[in-house]
Amino acid sequence: MKSREEIFDTVRCALVELFELEAPAIVPGARFDDDLEIDSIDAVDLIEHLSRSFGRKVSPRDFRSVRTVQDLIDAIDRLQER
Amino acid sequence: MTRGRVTKLHEDVSDLLDSLAESPPVKRTDQYWLRLPATGICFLVFGVAGFLLGIFVLPVIRLFSFDRLRGQRMARAVVGGGLRGFVMFMRSVGVLRYEFVGRAKLGRPGQIVVANHPTLIDVVFLLGFTPHATCIVKAGLFTNLITRGAVNAAGYIPNAPADEMIHAAQRALEEGESLVIFPEGSRTVPGQPMQMQRGAANLALRGARVLTPVFITCDPPTLSKNLPWYRIPPRRPTFTLRAGDDIDLETYRHAPLPIASRRLNSDLAGLFAGQLQCETTALNSRAQ
Repeated sequence: MKSREEIFDTVRCALVELFELEAPAIVPGARFDDDLEIDSIDAVDLIEHLSRSFGRKVSPRDFRSVRTVQDLIDAIDRLQER
Repeated sequence: MTRGRVTKLHEDVSDLLDSLAESPPVKRTDQYWLRLPATGICFLVFGVAGFLLGIFVLPVIRLFSFDRLRGQRMARAVVGGGLRGFVMFMRSVGVLRYEFVGRAKLGRPGQIVVANHPTLIDVVFLLGFTPHATCIVKAGLFTNLITRGAVNAAGYIPNAPADEMIHAAQRALEEGESLVIFPEGSRTVPGQPMQMQRGAANLALRGARVLTPVFITCDPPTLSKNLPWYRIPPRRPTFTLRAGDDIDLETYRHAPLPIASRRLNSDLAGLFAGQLQCETTALNSRAQ
């Protein structure tokens, strides 16, 4: 189990590494499509990367309603409780 | 409601007036008044033949092929043959001319074929002449009465949802199929630069052994976006499909996939913009 802060750090590092984004731009309220320019294809790459970092297999289905960084953290948090 | 309608009417009328004012008196040649009904007949033939194939022929193939892949291969041969026949039909009734350069480069195992998308019928040429290939098609074709039988039987891949599209297409490439994709996702808006989506580049880097671009031009333009079928061009259009040189994917594969696919995508956008501009220039100088 990781705390929400740890999840946020992992997500931020993934975004910096995969998409060459600036770390300060990645805040909980940032929207993937408008603020971070991450589209549905990028989301597939991101989810695959995160599922490796968290060491569990996830389905992209669990992330379809994700719009912001906060949504993603919530979704990961829910998955690790399962 | 009424006001909306009046505004719409007003727009229509001013569009019409604009088009009357703008359009220079272009001479209608190449038997315009025969090409117009012939174009309508082509649409009708496509619709009827597609529908009949989808409800009679393809389900029979499906019924009698015991493994999925063999059935798919036969269905693709039938669909490809039908599309090739349709190209010949369109040419024989005089609605178009075409030239396909470098066709032999297409259809290799694990090859991703990336093409620009100026007209409604680009896919008819590409799948007609690369019959074993699979293709990423608009998800709507799986519910369209005319096309759903064919796209299902041939096992083409719907473009949405994104994650399922990526995984199905990656598997197809890894299993050695060749895959046709239009990275713009939809026809080019006339007069605007191409808008390349990153999906094609991403897929290429995930699973393709080789990427081959196909440059499609249509002169004069026809069947483009936002244009009804009966607005046929003043001359008989010539479709030119030109398969370009393979692009080496290995040089991109060192960076993480999202970054690598952005690089490949922007290189592809540059390649297509440059090549298409050259072809247009060549056409214009020939016309003068």
